[in-house]
Amino acid sequence: MLSIKNLHASVEGKEILKGINLEIKPGEVHAIMGPNGSGKSTLSQVLAGNEAYEVTSGEIQFNGKDLFELETEERAREGIFLAFQYPVEIPGVSNLQFLRTAVNAMRKHRGEPEMNAAEFMKTAREVSKQVDLNPEFLKRGVNEGFSGGEKKRNEVMQALLLEPKLAILDETDSGLDIDALKVAADGVNALRSEDRAILMVTHYQRLLNYIVPDHVHVLAGGRIIKSGGRELALELEEKGYGWLGIKDDDAQVAG
Amino acid sequence: MKPAPTLSSAFLTPGSQSLPQPLLDLRSQRGTALADMPLPTRKTENWKYSSRHLKLSDELATALPVKGKSGPALAVPGYHVVFHNGVMVPEASDYPDVDGITIQRFADLDDSLASELAERLDNTLDAKAAQLARLNSARFEDGLYIRLAPEAVLDQPLFVISETDACSSGSAYPRIYVDAGRHSQITLVEEYISLGDEPVLVNAVTEFTLADGAQVTSVRLSAEGENVQHLGATGVRQQAHSRFDSHCVGFGGPMRRHDLQVRLEQSGANCRLNGVVVTQGKQHYDNHTVIEHVAPHCDSEETYRNIAADQSHAVFNGRIHIHQDAQKSNANMSNKNLLLSTGAEIDTKPELEIYADDVKCAHGATIGQLDKQSIFYLVSRGVDRREANTLLTMAFINELVQQIPVESVRETTQVRLNQFIEQTFEEA
Ligand SMILES: Nc1ncnc2c1ncn2[C@@H]1O[C@H](COP(=O)(O)OP(=O)(O)O)[C@@H](O)[C@H]1O
Ligand SMILES: [Mg+2]
Repeated sequence: MLSIKNLHASVEGKEILKGINLEIKPGEVHAIMGPNGSGKSTLSQVLAGNEAYEVTSGEIQFNGKDLFELETEERAREGIFLAFQYPVEIPGVSNLQFLRTAVNAMRKHRGEPEMNAAEFMKTAREVSKQVDLNPEFLKRGVNEGFSGGEKKRNEVMQALLLEPKLAILDETDSGLDIDALKVAADGVNALRSEDRAILMVTHYQRLLNYIVPDHVHVLAGGRIIKSGGRELALELEEKGYGWLGIKDDDAQVAG
Repeated sequence: MKPAPTLSSAFLTPGSQSLPQPLLDLRSQRGTALADMPLPTRKTENWKYSSRHLKLSDELATALPVKGKSGPALAVPGYHVVFHNGVMVPEASDYPDVDGITIQRFADLDDSLASELAERLDNTLDAKAAQLARLNSARFEDGLYIRLAPEAVLDQPLFVISETDACSSGSAYPRIYVDAGRHSQITLVEEYISLGDEPVLVNAVTEFTLADGAQVTSVRLSAEGENVQHLGATGVRQQAHSRFDSHCVGFGGPMRRHDLQVRLEQSGANCRLNGVVVTQGKQHYDNHTVIEHVAPHCDSEETYRNIAADQSHAVFNGRIHIHQDAQKSNANMSNKNLLLSTGAEIDTKPELEIYADDVKCAHGATIGQLDKQSIFYLVSRGVDRREANTLLTMAFINELVQQIPVESVRETTQVRLNQFIEQTFEEA
């Protein structure tokens, strides 16, 4: 489904990703772990098409298509979804209006009829309950005044509504207390299916207690330095990143 | 040095509609006073950014023909008065005749009411700050006179639809005067529209006087066609504890200007002035507001938003003048601007003049662009780029649109703004 070959990317002239290789097949759940500053969000943003990040070399195929030929909105319609590490607050655009516009854009792309306001309201209410968000949140501005945890659950809710083929979850666990973490994990598990892949990006392994990955990769200094099964995550928890020869706090990409 | 251009005498000949004698007299007096009036130039302080858009060529001087019957084919809910080229069309109007509320066209006023009105017209507007409002007084051919007796309440909004026929060049001079008695209440919706696309000039003046405790809500929509120059002025004088609530929405044009002047003359008077302006192409819009805090314990709250696309030009000049006796004044002014392209221009100038020492006065002006991260967030959900831009641009003014008090006006305004903004992103 997703095939990344020798991906290099930079921000503001500084190289962050230094040759990433990754293969993801339908139905698989992958976890990318790594210390802060190792380039996890950069990889996620590049996949979603953020123009602030410049791809300098490498290639990415998504379901047989050259990802770099697709605009951000086209990638989304082809089934790429990114749950942001830092969801953006947009006062003045109601969450409900935003979600309905997005869902209808997807439906239109798939040749399905658009949902009217009443139909959508019903669906949105159900899904918001699924992630334990009060439906009142639908009326507020997009992420406006949401707590960190509420923003993360709003991201999971969007994933559930948009039914992507590849869901990339960038630190969806951070800032959540244990109950909220379980709710978010239940949401993500509800996404799991044979034809859908999930890429979880996380600093800690605790989310992986609830969403068990098929593959774990360690990202450091802009490269995947180790890959393995779920036991790799447990090993990392036990021994820390130091075990792999990287220190957590100075693992930033060299400038 | 070249002598400054003056107002052509062609502009000082009114049309031939009949009016009561006192109003005819006032008109000719104003005409005489305007002879040789210098036209604003770049050096005229309150026209600095807009004089280059003003084109008062002689063919605009002719009064547009009055068609009497037709009137616009607009379905207006509730009470409405229709003006066609500045002259009322009774057949197309529908308004109540109730005790305590007088709604009459100028042409129908009896002599005593007409001479009382002639005394009062222009008293709310500073002639220097709104020079061109005086042109209306030299030229109006009809007008709407509204008087509310003490305690009178108009139970529904009154729409004044001012339609200009742009089928030949010329000008129209719509005029409204509202005298709101003690504790009376009225909501007035002024809507300026046009038909046809010849260049025309609309010079519209509306005045409000609010007695103690009166409450006036004013909605003003300026949405004429692409060749219409609009020079509008609104003057307001407020007595004790009166409330003036204003919502102005303006769409750009070749030359669009609105002067809004509010005088808080007695303690406890308060006003809220909201304004939204959108411009695109090579359009222009200029809002000049003045709030005079004359008396102590008055509040003013002003919020204006401009959105300029393409090579268009928007201007906001907000003056707050707190007089020496106006202690405990509370004045808030905010002007935020959104530039949708690098070719657009926005000029914003808050002017505060404060002579009292115990006042609260805050002001802020910003100019920004659409936030790239927000656009990315929206399109990353599959939302069309154009729709994302439109949503974010509407978000910039939604708060003000939501405050428009009449539901039907709020909804149509929202739809029109949305269409206008969507258009600006068409080629993007
Ligand atoms: N938009 C940006 N502008 C400038 N530097 C950035 C930007 N995004 C990321 N970086 C830098 O790139 C490096 C990797 O960041 P990031 O991908 O966010 O790491 P992670 O998500 O693994 O913590 C860091 O040094 C960070 O400062
Ligand atoms: Mg990150």
